[in-house]
Amino acid sequence: MNDMRTLERIVNSEAIKISARNVQVHYGTTQAIKDLNVDILDKTVTAFIGPSGCGKSTFLRCLNRMNDTIESCRVTGQIMMDGANIYDPRIDPVQLRARVGMVFQKPNPFPKSIYDNVAYGPKIHGLTRNKAELDEIVETSIRKAALWNEVKDRLQSPGTGLSGGQQQRLCIARAIATGPEVLLMDEPCSALDPIATAQVEELIDELRAQFSVVIVTHSMQQAARVSQRTAFFHLGSLVETGETGQIFTSPKDPRTEAYITGRIG
Amino acid sequence: MTDATSGGLSAAAQPKSSLLQPSRLMKKRNAAETRFKAYGIAAIVLSLATLGFMLVTIFSDGVSSFFQAKLSFPVELTARTLDPKGNRDRADMVKITTLGYNKVLAVAFEKELAARGIAIEGQSAKDVVEMISKDAAGSLRATVLANPSLVGSTLDATVLATGRIDGYLKGRVTMQTAERDSNVTPAQLQLADKLREAGMLTSSFNWGFLTMPDASDQRPEAAGLGVAILGSAYMMLLVLVTCVPVGVAASIYLEEFAPKNFWTDAIEVNISNLAAVPSIVFGILGLAIFINFAGMPNSSTLVGALVLSLMTLPTIIIATRSAIKAVPPSIRDAALGIGASKMQSVFHHVLPLAMPGILTGTILGLASALGETAPLLLIGMVAFVDNYPAAPMEGFLDPATALPVQVYGWAQRADPAFIERSSGAIIVLLVFLVAMNVLAILLRRRFERRW
Amino acid sequence: MTVLFLLIVVAVLAGAAFVLCRQRVMASVQGDPKLLHSLPMYYGWNGTIMVLLPALGGLVLWLLIQPMVIEGRIAAALPPDMMAAGGSMDLVMSDVRRVAGGLDVAVSTGAMTAQQAATISTESANIRDTLAAVGVALGADVSPAVLSAAQDYRVMTAWGMMGRTILTVLLALGGLIYAVMITNRDFRARNRVEAAVKGLLIAASSIAVLTTVGIVYSMLTETLNFFAQYPFQGFFFSLTWSPNFRGDSELGILPLIWGTLYITLISMLVSVPIGLYAAIYLAEYASKSVRAWVKPLIEVIAGIPTVVFGLFALVTVGPMLRDYFAEPLGWGDSGSSVMTAGLVIGILNIPFISSLSDDIINSVPQSLRDGSLGLGATRSETIRQVVLPAALPGIVGACLMAASRAIGETMIVVMGAGAAAKLSLNPFEAMTTMTVKIVGQLTGDTDFAAPETLVAFALGMTLFVITLALNIVALLIVRKYREQYD
Repeated sequence: MNDMRTLERIVNSEAIKISARNVQVHYGTTQAIKDLNVDILDKTVTAFIGPSGCGKSTFLRCLNRMNDTIESCRVTGQIMMDGANIYDPRIDPVQLRARVGMVFQKPNPFPKSIYDNVAYGPKIHGLTRNKAELDEIVETSIRKAALWNEVKDRLQSPGTGLSGGQQQRLCIARAIATGPEVLLMDEPCSALDPIATAQVEELIDELRAQFSVVIVTHSMQQAARVSQRTAFFHLGSLVETGETGQIFTSPKDPRTEAYITGRIG
Repeated sequence: MTDATSGGLSAAAQPKSSLLQPSRLMKKRNAAETRFKAYGIAAIVLSLATLGFMLVTIFSDGVSSFFQAKLSFPVELTARTLDPKGNRDRADMVKITTLGYNKVLAVAFEKELAARGIAIEGQSAKDVVEMISKDAAGSLRATVLANPSLVGSTLDATVLATGRIDGYLKGRVTMQTAERDSNVTPAQLQLADKLREAGMLTSSFNWGFLTMPDASDQRPEAAGLGVAILGSAYMMLLVLVTCVPVGVAASIYLEEFAPKNFWTDAIEVNISNLAAVPSIVFGILGLAIFINFAGMPNSSTLVGALVLSLMTLPTIIIATRSAIKAVPPSIRDAALGIGASKMQSVFHHVLPLAMPGILTGTILGLASALGETAPLLLIGMVAFVDNYPAAPMEGFLDPATALPVQVYGWAQRADPAFIERSSGAIIVLLVFLVAMNVLAILLRRRFERRW
Repeated sequence: MTVLFLLIVVAVLAGAAFVLCRQRVMASVQGDPKLLHSLPMYYGWNGTIMVLLPALGGLVLWLLIQPMVIEGRIAAALPPDMMAAGGSMDLVMSDVRRVAGGLDVAVSTGAMTAQQAATISTESANIRDTLAAVGVALGADVSPAVLSAAQDYRVMTAWGMMGRTILTVLLALGGLIYAVMITNRDFRARNRVEAAVKGLLIAASSIAVLTTVGIVYSMLTETLNFFAQYPFQGFFFSLTWSPNFRGDSELGILPLIWGTLYITLISMLVSVPIGLYAAIYLAEYASKSVRAWVKPLIEVIAGIPTVVFGLFALVTVGPMLRDYFAEPLGWGDSGSSVMTAGLVIGILNIPFISSLSDDIINSVPQSLRDGSLGLGATRSETIRQVVLPAALPGIVGACLMAASRAIGETMIVVMGAGAAAKLSLNPFEAMTTMTVKIVGQLTGDTDFAAPETLVAFALGMTLFVITLALNIVALLIVRKYREQYD
């Protein structure tokens, strides 16, 4: 890696937000994730990297139980967040997802106005008492997503009319609006052009002040640019995790090295 | 990206409750979720229950039409009444109407009752004889005329009992209803009980229901589906012959040859609209064009089949086109690549491969044509027809009726015995429909091809 | 020669053409088919087509034109006072045809010689009795004018038959000779045959258009006939429907439209919520195995003929509603009612709405659901606030199609709604619809000159226009919606 900026990054929090222990995921009879253990720190950007089909997206979807929506998917093991196992039967996945937001690979704005897209989360979670508060949350979220200047004059126009990069930032604004503690991003830039990608990456860096961000990416450059910590997945298991600079400069596992030097992938 | 740093009310500043403690709002939302899901289940249960209820009522009303009360007793075919000239000549015997046979039956019935020592308490002889169906004399006459040498002998006759006695055996008519009914008396029912004990009155499987033609209002016990089944069969045959070649040809043209132009668009729009035109409109078309303009015979299966063909055509075209579309272009390319003409590639390769799909679609189209009623009413198929249509070709021009029309026709009659027949006719209709659908499913399973 | 015999002759010629052309082309290459442009078979088929096409075309044209020409000439020859006295042209013509047919029968059974049939007159014999003897019953005594017209009719028909035979055979022979002449080794027979087949395919696909033209033409002409006899204001704006075959009927469509719409409204109130909730459950909640069982079961409803639902309405639903609702509540004592028909049509339309909605809901991209669920929305919130709004145009389209089916439904209303045209708000009262009246006016004895019969065509036209408009709007909406996600 020639981007040495990563070395200068410091991890500004040591508090563990999520810790996964012995996580196994099966789709029907095929095992997608084997015996996975990882800690995700608060107020940090953690990147999941690895070749296609290595289970990184599956694991990401475990963190807010989005895998519950897939009929054949079975998750065992423990994923603790703030001291509670999120797979505890008493946990309501709906409530969990309000606190662990998610941004998807393809921008997926609802076919509603920009305003309604962002207001959707706060409305369903009952976060506001009146219209003024809602307006404020919407504006703050869109500002945080660095979209305000572009859309402030057309909040009532449909979200599907925005450009790809703007749509993705709208989706980020939508996720922020529910006030999550963790933000999961599943290859958020894969459908975007380089300029939009740069904007979103810059945004991720800023978001880390408030949230713990977990990003799945195919691009090692992107992982190096935005993350403080990196976890490398291979064939359904976690091979290595550590500070981004360390993973990219002196990986401990030969498979990691092979991947970042381009021999597997 | 300067605006990202501005503060304001932060959503993240909301108080965090434990994940394990559902908030009050959350409880409400989950309750709403449960309700919503329950509505969905309720909708499904309701529609399936209604379907089940409908089928159960129709079956329970209709199954009994497959059984029929019959009276058996020896009938002496007295030559004095039936063949007054005594020459056993059919031409002379034809002059004896059913009235004469009625007399013979009445005498024989009373004689048998007396012989068996079954008392007729408080009833006139006329009441007793009226337990025999009005159809009996006619069928006896037909038997005798078919074989004049029977006259003078004693025949072990099995004749239909009237609809009310039949209903009594099936539980539809009771002593209470008989008191209010002008067509039957409680005394007749008591006598029926005695006859049953004596073995003269029995209930057996009613083949006549499937083979006999329709009967008039006074003789529900003799009404059968023979003409209707035959009429429906004729129409299905004609629909198959007219509709399938045209439908397949039209689909081939539209899928394989049609250029993108105004005429093609017009055809496409027409097909999708015809599929949605109410069926009764096709009846008006049949009445105005085929009967009034072209002068084809009223109530004939030919007109019925033409109307049903026009109705079924869009269904068959739509099914055939999707079957043709499912054949991958590589097959066509392969044929064209070895120098076959477009026409050859279609007829030699695409069509055979699309055949199972076409067949399935055709059967389903026929099934819906078989159940169609409204347009047939307008072209006169609801008329009372008690003669079988002749054998095919000329028979296609004879008046006939159809199964669903017979269901309607019987449902319009006053006697509740016809409601039983109507439900019975539905059972027959549904049996045919189920058979056709099963056939379609089997064909699809057997020949389904995944590309 | 009868038409059937003529057809046989043409078929034989066509077969001969096949054999001749094939032999000729094979002879031209000394039996080596490799030298030919097309397979030998195609030369044969070309011959067959060249015989069939002109001969059958000529025959069909002749059959269409001959009756018109003959009847025109007969009508012109008839004394004009016949029309005034004997009613309409149609009736006189049908008398003429009947007498002519009777004479034919008399000749064929030997009751009359051909000579007698041509010269017989009303003075010398009682035609009615003569014909009755051979089994042709006439309604009245035959007038001299009709008799002579019938005799003319027989003569012209005989000439026509002769002309028809000659023309058809000539055309067939001409086609055969032409086909044999043009057949040689370089003739592109396959292209010619394929062009003919393609013509056949085009003709087949044009039948759809012809049907629509037939529907519109048949209803339009009769509707115009109707409006020539009955004012259109009276039809469209009168509040009374009371046909009366003795004349002076009031034929206002409004009570029928009201009945139709009322029943449609009730059917929609039943089918839309049930169908939609069923579709939502099947698309969003049901497991694969439940779906695999329940979906076909619901669709069974769609496969049951409507007359079955009609009987259900007549025998079960109607009496039940009357006994448990209408009578106890004092709202009426009729088994047939708007409610009966509406409920049963509603049930009939459930699978229609549910399977269309199911398709539409399934075509909403999964990413929208993920987006909503990922924000912590429950499934029902996702469905109500994201999936349904996104699917709304398609669902509206499905509902419009269902409404159009309900408006055009016939058997259930004929058996369940009643026959009294009424403008009432009470859903337990019997009312009637356009389709019921079409059936009512067009079944049984009908007189196609009376407005009471012709009104059925005006009703049919109205029905056709309404359902067509609804369907076109629905199709446009659905198509627009499909484009959005394709």
